[in-house]
Amino acid sequence: MKLHRTVAVATMAVVSLSLAACSAGGTPAQSEGPVEIKFQSFSDQPAAIAATEEIVAAWNKDHADSQIKLIQAPSDSLDDKLTTQFAGEVAPDIIHYEIQGIAPFARDGYIADLSSLLSQKTLDDIEPGVLDSVTLDGKIVGAPTELQTYVVFANKGLLESAGVSIPTGDSMSWDTFAEIAKASTTPEVHGAAWGLKSPTAAFLSLGLGFDGTFFGTGKDVSLTVGEKEMEVPNRVRAMIDAGSLDPIGVTQSSSDVLATFYGGKAAMTVQGSYQIANVAADAPADMDWIVLPPLEGSAGIAQAATPQTLSINIDSAVQKQAAEFIDYFMQTDNLVKMNTADGLIPTTTSARAAIAEQNAGVNGWDAILASAAGLKGPTFLGADGYVRWKDTVATPGFQKFLGKEIDGARLATDLEAGWAQVNK
Amino acid sequence: MTALRPQRAHNPPPKPRAGGLARARRNEAAALVIPALIPVVLLSVIPLLIGIGMAFTDSTLARNHETSFVGLQNFINLGSDSLFWQSFGIGIIWSVSVTVLQFLGGLSLALLLNSDLKFKGLTRLLALMPWAMPPVVVAIMWQMIYSPTNGPLNWLIGTLGGPERINWLGDFSLALPAVILVGVWVGMPQNTITLLAGLQQVPAELSEAAAVDGAGAWSRFKHVTFPAIKPVIISITSLSFIWNFNSFGIVYVMTEGGPGGRTMLPMLFTYLEAFKSRHTGSAAAMGDVIVLFLIVILVAYLWRQLRGERIPK
Repeated sequence: MKLHRTVAVATMAVVSLSLAACSAGGTPAQSEGPVEIKFQSFSDQPAAIAATEEIVAAWNKDHADSQIKLIQAPSDSLDDKLTTQFAGEVAPDIIHYEIQGIAPFARDGYIADLSSLLSQKTLDDIEPGVLDSVTLDGKIVGAPTELQTYVVFANKGLLESAGVSIPTGDSMSWDTFAEIAKASTTPEVHGAAWGLKSPTAAFLSLGLGFDGTFFGTGKDVSLTVGEKEMEVPNRVRAMIDAGSLDPIGVTQSSSDVLATFYGGKAAMTVQGSYQIANVAADAPADMDWIVLPPLEGSAGIAQAATPQTLSINIDSAVQKQAAEFIDYFMQTDNLVKMNTADGLIPTTTSARAAIAEQNAGVNGWDAILASAAGLKGPTFLGADGYVRWKDTVATPGFQKFLGKEIDGARLATDLEAGWAQVNK
Repeated sequence: MTALRPQRAHNPPPKPRAGGLARARRNEAAALVIPALIPVVLLSVIPLLIGIGMAFTDSTLARNHETSFVGLQNFINLGSDSLFWQSFGIGIIWSVSVTVLQFLGGLSLALLLNSDLKFKGLTRLLALMPWAMPPVVVAIMWQMIYSPTNGPLNWLIGTLGGPERINWLGDFSLALPAVILVGVWVGMPQNTITLLAGLQQVPAELSEAAAVDGAGAWSRFKHVTFPAIKPVIISITSLSFIWNFNSFGIVYVMTEGGPGGRTMLPMLFTYLEAFKSRHTGSAAAMGDVIVLFLIVILVAYLWRQLRGERIPK
């Protein structure tokens, strides 16, 4: 039958075409001359979108032969989008993401090593702890642009009416935080509210303040959940048990908890520092809010650096030009512009100094910049299987622990056993 | 679902005569069928086979990954993956309860809409409302309704003097029932409309005749209406069961599988494995297990239901 043959031929053609598209290759031939560079950004704050557009427009005006084409990506399903883009080999040249999200793609070989692409000037300006966080297996997988820390916002009026002396200085110990929360708890108001619907990132980050590293280093990463690692979860659970931390808040997202804080139902709330932009805009006009000094554990005010990143697609034919644009993006004024728009903390020494100067005296910024002093590169980014462990073991485990379903000993064994199972 | 076709006794086809005419007809029929089959084969059958085959490889989403055949290794690993089987159990609780409640709710509503009410057209339209909404919108809406701090549901319970601040989606024992309720709410219109269509096929004379013979409402339903709509019931419940077992969007948006993994449906788990952990091979194995399980359940269910309908030859 003729038809059969036609179908067979058509199928063969499709199969061979797709096979041809999947041929293995190293770095593709690099283009010279006028090029177009696709830059995919996921910024969703109007101010940040405007800042990105400004930076791109300024670059395009001065560089006629390497034009940036800005592509807007969704921020909430970015992971799915990138997965399909990379699998279908249509990923953009420059990818804006954050280190925890880009790490699995880097491990799967889709991301170019920036160590030799970026200028030495750019690399030298990046804070050491931050540079550490974007270095996987000796490769720099993204240029860090903006980052957040966890800080405590407080309703000054509620603290004062509870007769609490408001902490000042360079840090606030966890014990002090728990005492203040206890003192400002009334039948109507919880001392603190913390949106821990996705608790893993916060616990792993703040755990560094007690030297709780969770993961070892090296190829076959081990996971140990000992006393140091359990410090932060135990302290949070103790505050829930004492009635000073809102038990409903720990099952909500951080923005849900902000509503509780605005409503005067919580004296303090632990949030990502980027919320300062939202608090400044949305808090009731009569609320006197402040940012308390950074939380300090036995090992100081250390937290995990998990910056937003600009990475280059390893299959891009314009890597050199893309890296030149990233160098430009990383310049002090541009980083200050972006971080101001997002309410985030710059990643380079010079931009951090510039933003401190710019925001001198602005409510809360001193404390937020102080909290960035202890940022370290976390070990979990190097752990293959971290994502699955986080989604299927750690997050449910921490939720059960905070919901008083299991005790600390059980949580520690569950986390370790889960890690073993994920890495079978 | 070819298995759902009403089984009628039909005469076996006559044996083709060895003649030119019959052969020409057969070729004609084939020529007419094949163009229609091409898109089905290209867009459904081939991807399905590729998906099934993927479960026997170590396929991942890594760049230039040389996929190799690993036999049953993925299935062996899955056998000892307690987290997956845990989610499987949650999936069974979810699909059985949602399917049963959807059916009962849909049947009650259909019987109500089938009676001679005022504003029949309007009520039928209203019954369709949940169906007209995209799942993600439904999920976000219910998330707001369930909100423990400023949701209308807790406000209502509070004003009626009930307990304060119930944490619907964050409490370990309440989260699964809460999402089941939403699943029922979303799926009821499909059940209602299908059952209503079935009910309208039942001749009114039969009910009248039974009423004349002195049958009450319940026995009229039991002996006249129910047998008449049984095929519709069987098809809608089996389809509902498949949809519910494979549902993803609503629960993903509302709870993302939390709290403490209480609403981690198998499809959610498979999604995490494929697109977050990037192990497409073992995710395909999970998909295969789910499909096999559904086939077994449905064959058992339909076998028992349809066996009695065969007309002995």
